Amino acid sequence: MNTDVEELLRDGMERFTAGVRAPAGLAHTASRRRRRRLAVRAAVACGTAAVTAAAVVAVAAGTGGGPARTGPAISQAHTAAYVISRVEKALAEQHLVLLGRTSGVWGPSRSWTYGPRNRFEEFTGSDCGHALPNGNCTHRGGSEPYIDVGTALIGGKLTGVYVSYYNRKWSLLPEGSTPASACSRTGALEMASPLVPTSDWPAFIRATLACGAAAVTGHVQIDGVETVKITGSPVTVKLPPGEARAVHEKWVRSRWTLYVDPDTYLPVRMSGSSYSYGGPAPSTYSAGVTDIQWLPPTAANIAQSLITIPAGFQQVSSPADQ
Amino acid sequence: MAHDRTAEEMDQFLTERADLLMRTAVLLTGSREAGQDLLQTALERLLRHWRTLEGDPEAYLRRTLYNLAADGFRRQGRLRRKLLLLRAETQAPVDPTTEVDLRDALVRMLLQLPPRQRAVLVLRYWEQLTEAETAATLGWPQGTVKSAASRGLRRLRELAEGWHQAERDDKELRGQRA
Repeated sequence: MNTDVEELLRDGMERFTAGVRAPAGLAHTASRRRRRRLAVRAAVACGTAAVTAAAVVAVAAGTGGGPARTGPAISQAHTAAYVISRVEKALAEQHLVLLGRTSGVWGPSRSWTYGPRNRFEEFTGSDCGHALPNGNCTHRGGSEPYIDVGTALIGGKLTGVYVSYYNRKWSLLPEGSTPASACSRTGALEMASPLVPTSDWPAFIRATLACGAAAVTGHVQIDGVETVKITGSPVTVKLPPGEARAVHEKWVRSRWTLYVDPDTYLPVRMSGSSYSYGGPAPSTYSAGVTDIQWLPPTAANIAQSLITIPAGFQQVSSPADQ
Repeated sequence: MAHDRTAEEMDQFLTERADLLMRTAVLLTGSREAGQDLLQTALERLLRHWRTLEGDPEAYLRRTLYNLAADGFRRQGRLRRKLLLLRAETQAPVDPTTEVDLRDALVRMLLQLPPRQRAVLVLRYWEQLTEAETAATLGWPQGTVKSAASRGLRRLRELAEGWHQAERDDKELRGQRA
């Protein structure tokens, strides 16, 4: 019987894949996808952890402020202005360094932000992000740096950079426009990633709340803390024709959620997901959860929010060349 | 010492091996579309190292394929499997002789197994590797491979038992009606 099943399975696999042929241009497609991925990462690079921070503020603002642990909860009596002022005060008094740890469909990552400084570190993931020459996976669990995106001090000036460790290259990031809120489809889409290109969180949140792009949707216990849950309105974005051709999909739908400690008005968790579909390629779903810590502004912590380009890395003209 | 491989060598490599690799990817994912996506993702990894890769690129690519698949293909496995199952249901063959083919049923069942069990069974019964070779390919202890294969096969055998029982019941029912 055992042998029968094994042989039947082998036959079945033969039948199942009979006639399967690899599509032409596999290498070119893979190369294009790789470039596309790098470009997307670069595009959202500036302001990494600001996302979380923005989320934080958004949450707090959306909650209507005040310790919202009681009651049907979250009273909307407090104005957004009151909430935002609390958030601003909390952040201004403490000058905390944000550290976000994200796990998701990509490798694990860490986000750092301190004022205008920000850094997004991606590590090799558990899915064999790096491999030895013999093909064995050597780095599981995110132990090896993979990509660094954010700000570096170059010539005494904060400058956006993109560093790829696997090929020891780096490039300058072009100054990109940053959404002022999550009200726009682009801004909302970026809220679903671990990066938000803003360092002005209160303004970002104020605008997001004003347009109703987020709402308080309840309470959730996280590590013993009853957090306020803020849910961003899902958005669907039609990709520009060039991008759609590159990824073989037409639409991207994303959603994001923030969890905020109602006592501190600081976020403790953020989650985002996106789903792309509508093209000849199979639909793609990606999601990530960022757990957030607020660290004291020690020299060591602040230093983490800046990228140091390793000696010997080659500068190239743009992230697309990496 | 590695020599710098060229893009032409990559094209040549794929010309010779892509079909077989594609079949493996389809088995690991359950559909041509997802298999193509998996193979291209593995190729992206290979491209990173292509020029200076030491050793056999096919071995590298295979290990990457299986490790991606065993990890649920970028952790999308759960959703992807659900979608594939739905798709499989809607695309079920209409030919009754095909529908009752246990071989097809076993493959459909294989696609519902957890990614790690599926990867082990594809390596063992499609690639026809030994347990030791499978363990080396995946970078797992041999005991882990053995237990994953055992659990996967047990589920397939249960399916086969159920299949045969259903056939017996069907014959009996038809006999009664006659």
